[in-house]
Amino acid sequence: MASCHDTIDDDLNEGKDLTHIPYSPVLYAVNLPEDYPALEQPSDNLMTVEGIKLGRKLFYDPVLSLDSTISCSSCHMSTHSFTDGKPLSEGVAGITARGSMSLVDVGLQYHGLFWDGRAATLEDQALMPVEDPIEMAETWEHVEMKLREHPGYPEDFRKAFGITSTSKIDRYLAAKAIAQFERSIISGGNSKYDRFIRGEIFLEENEYNGYLMFFDKAPSVVPDAECHHCHNAPLFATNDYFNNGLQESADFMSFGDPGLGKVTGIFTDNGRFKAPTLRNLVFTAPYMHDGRFNTFEEVVNHYNSGGKYSPNKSNLLYNLHFTEEQKADLIAFLMTLTDSTAVTNPDYQSPF
Amino acid sequence: MKYLLFTLFALNLVILSSCKEDEEVGTVVINFKAVYDGEPLHTFDTKAFENGQRLQFTLLTMMVSDLELLKSGGVESLDDIELVNLSFADSVSAARGYTVTIHDVPAQTYTGLSLGIGVPEDLNAMVPADFPSNNPLSNTGYYWTGWGSYIFQKTEGTLDTIGNGPLDLGFSLHTGSDPLYSVLQGSPTLVVEDGKTLELDIVVDYKLLLAGIDIKSNPQNHNPQDIATIQAIVDNLPNALVLIQ
Repeated sequence: MASCHDTIDDDLNEGKDLTHIPYSPVLYAVNLPEDYPALEQPSDNLMTVEGIKLGRKLFYDPVLSLDSTISCSSCHMSTHSFTDGKPLSEGVAGITARGSMSLVDVGLQYHGLFWDGRAATLEDQALMPVEDPIEMAETWEHVEMKLREHPGYPEDFRKAFGITSTSKIDRYLAAKAIAQFERSIISGGNSKYDRFIRGEIFLEENEYNGYLMFFDKAPSVVPDAECHHCHNAPLFATNDYFNNGLQESADFMSFGDPGLGKVTGIFTDNGRFKAPTLRNLVFTAPYMHDGRFNTFEEVVNHYNSGGKYSPNKSNLLYNLHFTEEQKADLIAFLMTLTDSTAVTNPDYQSPF
Repeated sequence: MKYLLFTLFALNLVILSSCKEDEEVGTVVINFKAVYDGEPLHTFDTKAFENGQRLQFTLLTMMVSDLELLKSGGVESLDDIELVNLSFADSVSAARGYTVTIHDVPAQTYTGLSLGIGVPEDLNAMVPADFPSNNPLSNTGYYWTGWGSYIFQKTEGTLDTIGNGPLDLGFSLHTGSDPLYSVLQGSPTLVVEDGKTLELDIVVDYKLLLAGIDIKSNPQNHNPQDIATIQAIVDNLPNALVLIQ
């Protein structure tokens, strides 16, 4: 015979019924700039209008954090091309070890996420900040409870994933929704560079010189800035990890931040970090994994100097001997990668 | 048994064989290995170079394409394209090498092995955005916008130009462009048996690959108007690659 206690447990386990809410998701039509690679979606998490809507709400909702002060958007602000304008990001419990990376075109990053590549997919990545003791300092068990008891989210989860009861709301569905939203954040393809490549406009002379330097297109005319090896078009990132001479280290074990090496366990990977996109740099200062550079000039001066010694510093870094004019031309070209479309698109902004 | 791989200038006949359901098949395992003067080569391992110099390698990669077994009247395709990464951090990993495993290879006696170093012309005319993320050709880090070509090989490291000083001259020797695509072939008899594995080693001796190369004068060589160094690397390929059964 069932006891009252057993009945209450059964009710809690079953949750509230959601089957009265229609479930008819609409596949999301991805719209990419014409020279972009295909946006690959996991077969168990295809983008839908409803999934993206839910993911956008969760992205901007501080309910994911312990004290309801921090959301994903706290470190990935649309006004900063989905970074936060700080050298090191700040969470519930203090300052983190690195700055936030831009989420523009993040859905096209297939070889690891975070500066050190520790998350294989967007779905994996979305799970991590919630339980990070500095970032959101929450537990997923508690977040799941909050979402299940929320006045609005159960319906959103039903519409996105077809779940039949609130008990089915879990961290994995939440992460999937957030990943769907993040995959929808695409550069508009309307930067001056994009329009130039499509043959719609010409670049100014200084911008064009910078373009030639960036891609080493005219070695007999302008020097090679070596940029495209790590920041190649169309994403201006290469999904790879490099030691770009930021940290001085006499050996492989003395890096202040081991970066990729801590994840792979391979000592020769110490000091290597993911090469981020260079699109929208106007919005994403400060620069580098620790936000040490505030201006384009500081970045270009760093690369022009060849960087600091460490045994595995990329061999593409050496003293470039640029003139002031050449540095300015390179910066002028970087400015052509500015596209405010992703920054101002209302579909990417807070729904609250 | 060791066999030098010689350059094949003619186009390969490509006759794809179909696999019948009851056909006998085996597995072919090819281990690509880097050595220097015959010894397993790992990154950041200081080696003696020409003219009293010393060097370390930091990145050793190559695009290998059209990996095929040769047979009477055609070929058996093993792998279309592979980014072979020989940048191992220790000698044990270097000795093990980079492994390509091909299952369901028709069991029979083959007359040799053929492989391309680089990207064949038809694929080289495409761009990374044309390929899915699990294809090596989707890697924009291996595409030369300035050349309109994929990068076929990356040989990077540091050089001590005086022999007892710091290894402080970084070098990045990248080959590419259609004329520098090489097809190498070896003609040992290779037998694939039903239900069994044929294991082969393809060994790249980087001392031989860089023989006669003046790294000091041109350490950053990725200029389409200056191909002497990378041409020399490509010319050294037949001498530097050995097939071991």
